[in-house]
Amino acid sequence: MKRVAAVAVNTFRETIRDRILGVIILFALAMIVASLWLASISLGQEDRMIKDFGLVAISLFGLIVAAFVAASLVRKEVERRTVFIIFSKPVSRNEFIWGKFLGLASTMFTVLAGMTVFLFLLAWLVAKSPSGELLLAGLLIYLQLLVVMAMTMLFSTMTSAILASVWGVCVYAAGQLSHNVLSLSRTGHTEVAHALSTVVFYLVPNLSAVDLRAAVVGEGATSWPHLVAWCVYLVAYIVIALMAATWIFRRKEF
Amino acid sequence: MLAVRDLHKTVVVGFRRRKVDILNGVDLEVRDGEVFGLLGPNGAGKTTTLKVVLGLMRPTSGSVELGVDGLGELGYLPENPYFYDYLTGREFLRFCARLFSLDAHECDTRITAILADVGLERAAGVQLRKFSKGMLQRIGIAQALINEPRFVLLDEPMTGLDPIGRVEVKEIIQRLHERGTTVLFNSHILADVAALCTRIAIMRGGRVIWQGAVDDALASDPHGDLESFFMEVVRS
Repeated sequence: MKRVAAVAVNTFRETIRDRILGVIILFALAMIVASLWLASISLGQEDRMIKDFGLVAISLFGLIVAAFVAASLVRKEVERRTVFIIFSKPVSRNEFIWGKFLGLASTMFTVLAGMTVFLFLLAWLVAKSPSGELLLAGLLIYLQLLVVMAMTMLFSTMTSAILASVWGVCVYAAGQLSHNVLSLSRTGHTEVAHALSTVVFYLVPNLSAVDLRAAVVGEGATSWPHLVAWCVYLVAYIVIALMAATWIFRRKEF
Repeated sequence: MLAVRDLHKTVVVGFRRRKVDILNGVDLEVRDGEVFGLLGPNGAGKTTTLKVVLGLMRPTSGSVELGVDGLGELGYLPENPYFYDYLTGREFLRFCARLFSLDAHECDTRITAILADVGLERAAGVQLRKFSKGMLQRIGIAQALINEPRFVLLDEPMTGLDPIGRVEVKEIIQRLHERGTTVLFNSHILADVAALCTRIAIMRGGRVIWQGAVDDALASDPHGDLESFFMEVVRS
């Protein structure tokens, strides 16, 4: 556990000090501030525009960090040969993969927490409508992005960093649409199409199930038992993705 | 300390999955407390042998017997090491020490001592991206020694260093020898090997073609010169 913590702390330090991360955060904050302009031309929908646009900005920039940083996380260590230093010490591949994931997860938490609190304050000060659901929505975006990170890390053990990033973004997009795919298949005519979409539904992480954007802007109710069940499902998805990444990484030689 | 027996390594390369033998039956013996030099032209299999010893590569066949209790008693400096740009020297060494599960107090004590040993006390708070090549090599040696290993493997520790850097690295190896640490290192700089090593092995084509004491090598050469002995063995 100490070794996992050491790798995690090291990864956190490396990623949080990277200038690229700073640029991404600045862009994200600028986007959230831009929601003020949209709110000003939205005729009585200020509250809705700030929260909706702000949450989309957080998801989008979080996705950039999750897909692009996670893809290079393990590959960079292999390409720059820092793995020689790590694996010549008593560190298992399992400890390495979990440490890298937890380190980036800590960075992601710091970044998302900062952006969500910023959006919360903006909603409070400008639209005079602070809501606890906004903070919860931020937390669930974090969970969605952890799934993307775990899947991207899995892809990065098999392919190049660029391809792993692209696949990571695809997982996010598919995860947002998987529920629609299942709904559409039910209106279809063939059994094959229905079976195929059911397989896709269970294979792709259902990220839309924990999307609280509609509830935050007052367009839907939150079903707590369902939400908790979907969160457990996504955590299990992360564990399985990381176990698969470890299994593949264990077979690699340097 | 280390016994390598009939070590073979075959890798598959290219689209046609062609098999290439990198190691063709390496036999090697490194004794307790000695400084051992592994020599050979580029592509002889020196680095691959070290990687197999460390478990970074799996052998196709053959055996490696280490006289130490796992990686916890080993130290390793890779060739042309690259470290984490945004960490300071002290942070990097703390990270390495934590990988050996050392507690915080012990980490700090050892880091301070090792930084002094490699002459980097004043650069401890500087990020590694600002280090010169020589400083990186010294921090690399420091990380290899953080666990006070009984056996140290150094892959080309003098490569790319200026004369002062080379002397400093040689002094570090000499001090390790005086403390009773076993050192195995690769090098193309034969003058350094002659000055530091008690025994050497010469590799070519993935196997050891000569192994013995440096004194024997020098005695068997008409000029008493390791470079000339090396050339004769490799060409024969």
